[in-house]
Amino acid sequence: MKKNYKIIYSLALGILLTSCDNKLDVKPVDNIDSKTALQKSSDVEALLIGAYDSMTDADVLGGNMQRDAELIADNGDIQWQGTFVAPAQIFGKNLFKDNGQASTTWLDAYRTINVANTILANLNLVDASKKQKIEGEAKLIRAWMNFELVRVYAKTYLDGDPKVNLGIPIITSPTLEVSQSLYVKRNTVDQVYQVIISDLTSAESILPASNSFFATKYTAAALLSRVYLMQGNYEGARQAAHRVISSNVFRLTNTFGQEFNNKNNTTEDIFAAQQTDQDNDNALNTFWASATQFKLESGVFWGGGRGDIIINDQHLNSYDLPDDRGDFFYVAGDIFTAKWAAQIANIPLIRLAEMYLTRAEGNFRVGGAPLGANPVDDINILRTRANANPYASVNLATILRERRFELAFEGHWIHDIKRNKQTFTKDFGNEVKSYPYNSPKLIFPIPMRETDANSNMVQNEGY
Amino acid sequence: MNKRLLFINLLLFLGCSLSMIAQDRRITGKVTAASDGSALPGVTVQVKGVSKGTQTDASGSYSLSVSNNQKTVVFSFVGFTSQEITIGSKSIIDVQLVEDAKSLEEVVVVGYGTQKKTNLTGNVASITGKSIENLPVISAEQAIQGRAAGVFIESGNGKVGQGIKMRIRGSSSVSAGNNPLYIVDGIPITSTDQSTTGGPTNPIADINFNDVESIEILKDASAAAIYGSRGSNGVVILTTKKGKAGKTNFNINYFSGISEATGHREFLNTAQYVELFTEARVNAGYSVSGGETRFTRYALGERERWADPTSAKYTSTNWEDQVLRKGSVNQFDINISGGNDKTKFYASGSYSKQEGIIVKNSFERLSTRLNLDHKASDKISIGINASLARSFNTRLSNDNAFSTPMQIIALAPMSPVIDPRTGDYTDSYNNAVITQYYNPLLSIKYTDNNTEVYRSIGNIYGQWNILPTLFFRTEYGYDMLFQSEDQYYGKETVRNNPTATYGEAYKSNTNIFNYNTNNFLSFNQIFNQKHDLQALVGMSYQQSKRNYIDATARSFPSDSYKMISSGAVKADANSAERMFTFLSYFSRVNYKFDNKYLLSLSGRLDASSRFGSNNRYGFFPAASVGWILSEEEFLKDIRQISLLKVRGSYGITGNAEIANFPSLALYSAAYGYAGTPGQRAVQLPNPDLKWEKTAQTDIGLEIGLFNNRLSFEADYYTKHTSDLLLNVNVPGTSGYSTLLKNIGDLENKGWEFVVRTDNSFGDLKWKASVNAATNKNKILNLEGQVITGGFLNRAVEGQPLGVFFGPEYAGVDPANGDAIYYKNTKNSDGSVDRSTTNDVNQAQYTVIGNPNPKWIGGITNEFSYKGVDFSFTFQGVYGNDVYNGAGKFMSANGEFYDNQTIDQLNRWKKPGDITNVPQARYLPDVANGTAESSRYLQDASYTRLKTVTIGYTFPKEIVNKLKLSKLRVYATANNLLTFTKYTGWDPEVNTDYLGGVAAGNDFYSAPQPKTITAGLTIGF
Repeated sequence: MKKNYKIIYSLALGILLTSCDNKLDVKPVDNIDSKTALQKSSDVEALLIGAYDSMTDADVLGGNMQRDAELIADNGDIQWQGTFVAPAQIFGKNLFKDNGQASTTWLDAYRTINVANTILANLNLVDASKKQKIEGEAKLIRAWMNFELVRVYAKTYLDGDPKVNLGIPIITSPTLEVSQSLYVKRNTVDQVYQVIISDLTSAESILPASNSFFATKYTAAALLSRVYLMQGNYEGARQAAHRVISSNVFRLTNTFGQEFNNKNNTTEDIFAAQQTDQDNDNALNTFWASATQFKLESGVFWGGGRGDIIINDQHLNSYDLPDDRGDFFYVAGDIFTAKWAAQIANIPLIRLAEMYLTRAEGNFRVGGAPLGANPVDDINILRTRANANPYASVNLATILRERRFELAFEGHWIHDIKRNKQTFTKDFGNEVKSYPYNSPKLIFPIPMRETDANSNMVQNEGY
Repeated sequence: MNKRLLFINLLLFLGCSLSMIAQDRRITGKVTAASDGSALPGVTVQVKGVSKGTQTDASGSYSLSVSNNQKTVVFSFVGFTSQEITIGSKSIIDVQLVEDAKSLEEVVVVGYGTQKKTNLTGNVASITGKSIENLPVISAEQAIQGRAAGVFIESGNGKVGQGIKMRIRGSSSVSAGNNPLYIVDGIPITSTDQSTTGGPTNPIADINFNDVESIEILKDASAAAIYGSRGSNGVVILTTKKGKAGKTNFNINYFSGISEATGHREFLNTAQYVELFTEARVNAGYSVSGGETRFTRYALGERERWADPTSAKYTSTNWEDQVLRKGSVNQFDINISGGNDKTKFYASGSYSKQEGIIVKNSFERLSTRLNLDHKASDKISIGINASLARSFNTRLSNDNAFSTPMQIIALAPMSPVIDPRTGDYTDSYNNAVITQYYNPLLSIKYTDNNTEVYRSIGNIYGQWNILPTLFFRTEYGYDMLFQSEDQYYGKETVRNNPTATYGEAYKSNTNIFNYNTNNFLSFNQIFNQKHDLQALVGMSYQQSKRNYIDATARSFPSDSYKMISSGAVKADANSAERMFTFLSYFSRVNYKFDNKYLLSLSGRLDASSRFGSNNRYGFFPAASVGWILSEEEFLKDIRQISLLKVRGSYGITGNAEIANFPSLALYSAAYGYAGTPGQRAVQLPNPDLKWEKTAQTDIGLEIGLFNNRLSFEADYYTKHTSDLLLNVNVPGTSGYSTLLKNIGDLENKGWEFVVRTDNSFGDLKWKASVNAATNKNKILNLEGQVITGGFLNRAVEGQPLGVFFGPEYAGVDPANGDAIYYKNTKNSDGSVDRSTTNDVNQAQYTVIGNPNPKWIGGITNEFSYKGVDFSFTFQGVYGNDVYNGAGKFMSANGEFYDNQTIDQLNRWKKPGDITNVPQARYLPDVANGTAESSRYLQDASYTRLKTVTIGYTFPKEIVNKLKLSKLRVYATANNLLTFTKYTGWDPEVNTDYLGGVAAGNDFYSAPQPKTITAGLTIGF
């Protein structure tokens, strides 16, 4: 029995003392700990790439922001015929506060801002030679997201008093943990524009003039021109646009069609969302291209989307032909825009043509001696390229009309309507509805998930 | 620790002191079965009141020393009634043992051992393998549907090989897993979905349940707490068959059958379609001609196909018929078992193939098993259980894909199945789309979607019987799962898979190596005939590592090439490696005094890599008591009462079914841009993360009457879960959307009833079992969080998990055909405003239904008369609602061109019409009744004739002439009849693409199969 004792003791000890404690320290492999992830300059540089990726996600500038800016402004030019509920509500200008796109756009834009804030908070890790460039890019990305958010979720700058109207929360530091400080309030529209302008001005001053397909000082200037335009600051807008044009870094493509459906940036692209076979997030193709595919003579395939947005005759008939832009459509059962026809193609987010339009409008509105060129000349540059007849003279209406022809379906429509305080109508069959620029129906709801999660968030009017 | 050693000391002391008794003379004899006189090896022969004993050898013989003062010897054997023989002066005692049908059920498998059912103080449901063998379903959980009280099992749809939902006593978690822990022969196995594409798959389907001897479901804390941090959702223990000593038995079984859908749904024919949509366009101010253009487009440009019923080309396609088909099932099993007193074996091989009722959906499984038990000596026994299976699943897209076959019903009826111009399925022609949506038949024809799994589950064990009363057992088990998913999309599917311009292939490999070791000491002794003590102490360690890789390639020379290597463009590749570990120490003491008073205590100390280092260890204790009143003097003489027992338990279990690294701040590098590597944060840290804990109380009553011919069992339980592992919404302005936190409480309360009867009337035997259970789930506290899922599901305080929360549909305004909703807003006096509005945004979201059943139950009856056996099981689910998420498309009163359910013809047409279907309006600016609301919610209670079997076993004379030992023919039907008011395809539904708190949603979900088989069993 004594032998048994010993054996049992040792068994018992063996069972109870077996130390597997170190086995519990399992380290993540495919995702890694944040401390490991942020140690040196290259880590912050990778974070910057992550910020570009986040910003050009399908739900942000990868296409859905632009899509929604066209859908919500539609006056019968296009028809949404897809099955997705969220864009259908946007097209009907009848969003519910739980609209999925309203939620995703918000989350993804703020995710991008958080990445940018993380970069800015870790600049101390960055090699001195790269510091300014990275700081500039992060600020530009943050400003761009704030600009898109404030335009979508708040009253437009020129509607009432932007110092009183609620904008969006301004976030300037990275989130490291959940704490009370995350339960933020909405800043005013004016405060948001101030930080956007401050970030972009700083970015323009510290960014390089060339930076592969990433943001340059001209991207910052071009974006500034948009921001000023939304504010009705035509002087600021024309100057910023002029800085881009006069740099002579960019050149219009020879034909209008050459600007679109490219795998590489064109001479005209000031900034484009890059798409590759391995990393393709082009939501514009998804929604605006036909579902069927066919091969062009060049060997490029067109189509391959969901065929959800078709172009109506009302739009096609609005062009004064000849005009290549009025012919930039294709038929695949229904009629589709050719701008987003190729499946894997960069998305021009800001292109030189817009700068000509902005400078022309700014010059026209400010009056007096024009900056760079007469408005009519700037407009005719675009018309000539499109093989349209040049104008002898222009007025505000023709400039804005030209803007629509040139930039249709690129995500400018609702913003142009709002800043010009236009009212548009839409025929719903039984009823023609009228939408003034400041209609609450043209503003997204603060996502319901956000008002649920944060009681400090004030909901928009009408939701 | 000192205490534990002392305890072992004490056990040893008692054990030693009892084995010092003098020995005197020897008795010998042979034990045989009363039924056929065959020798019974392995029978325990024991002197009454003393631990001393022996076992019979292969020939049934034994030899035992007894002292003069010992008067009685007891012969006991599992499956037979024990016999006591007075020794007297006899030196040879031969015994015939009588088989006892009930005694088999009396021993149940519990964690790390077995226990007599009468001694149980916890709640364990036990199902014999025999009662479910040869059922024509894929996996064990499907087979036991309706057979265990309080166990809710749901197949989300009729796709074969898909994931199955199982809830034991309700859902105890909001964000963590709610499926039970599965143990096969002592080893926790991989049971969660491993699908990386399409709907979920079911790793339990890799197990051939014809190899299963018994399935035990540990429901209350007393039973499940021995599995500690993983016991909250209950534990399912599968025990595989073992060989028996004696003659080698061969069993061959084959069955074959056919299947079809349990239900259908009727859609508009061409004339009805034209009528409804023409009206819808007119009502919304659109031209009639615009609609006709559309109809003609759908009709291949040939107006006569829809406009002229006399035309030979007139078309009215029933698309559902194109995707639902007659399925088939075939299964062949062979098993061989036998052995001698030293070595026993069970070996089996099985091939099973099911062609689903949905086109191009099938499941095939080839499995083998060898279970070997060997006694190396009186003290040492060793064994090995090993299974190897290959399953091959031809899969379909999830319910949310245009390519899933059931979405075909959205197509217009005037489109012919085949476009004569192309000879292929109608979809597009000359770059123009014809059908409104992609035709899923193209995917059926031009897509491969196969998942192949190689699975081996096994363990080796060694048991050392240190003393007759004490053994040490060590087990090492493994579960290897090698899964490969292969998909190929032909260029013909390009409308649905835009990147498949020249074909696209996807392949993934998932390898999981999961191993586990259990080491424990087990003690069992009766002292002074009054104190029956069982004690267990041990440890276990589990490690599971998953490796994953996938690749996508595009641009194939032709559809004949389908491998990644043949694609000119390598489009994507991913890999992942995940691991988790569990380290546990456990102990249990069961004590029975005087055969009447039962006490059980257990505890488990668990640690897991899944938790932050601040809270890595959790302790999970349980205590239970029982009182067998029928053993008391005052009841002992009432012969009618064979058992009266009350029991109660309380304990704490945990839930650790969460992601592997939820406590860490994580970065991912999956965010490159245009070929440049990038990273960003993906998860916020929570170092305080800990187990979710469930405290469960169970009170049970067991009554056996008339020699247990009628028995009754009732349980009441409450489960209170606290520190819920909750994906809490954080302000999105933080850059994140959720954080996993321990927040909140929920409870489940319920009753369970089981009534059994077991009767013989001469040759007629009748057994019946009825079970019924209620469960009431309620979320007590979420700190104000509202968690949404599905279409209208929510986790919200004061309500059951997943409750449907939305606008309440009030029908149709008879004046104008507008859909109206109850406002349900609070008036200033606190009452609810029940007036209606046609603006759904004005309608307050309110509780409109509950996906959780109020009652579940089942009735099983088994009859046998001479060679004929007949059995059937009804299964029912009552008081739950199902939401048709596709209602806004298929029952949308003509809002868009999706074909509509036939009930949409009842739309409002003119003032005064009383109907529930609003006026048909094509693409109105304000949706007319198609917002998510209670309009699409229905009661989905059902009763189903789950299985019915009739068999005939040929009499011995005939069988013996054929030199066989058994010959049985049988026919089985599964899901033969369904009784429900639900108007969808099938009330047992839960679409396969929604997760989280989503439950009870129908979304083009395929119906269940109704299967009829005929089979043959031969034994020799």
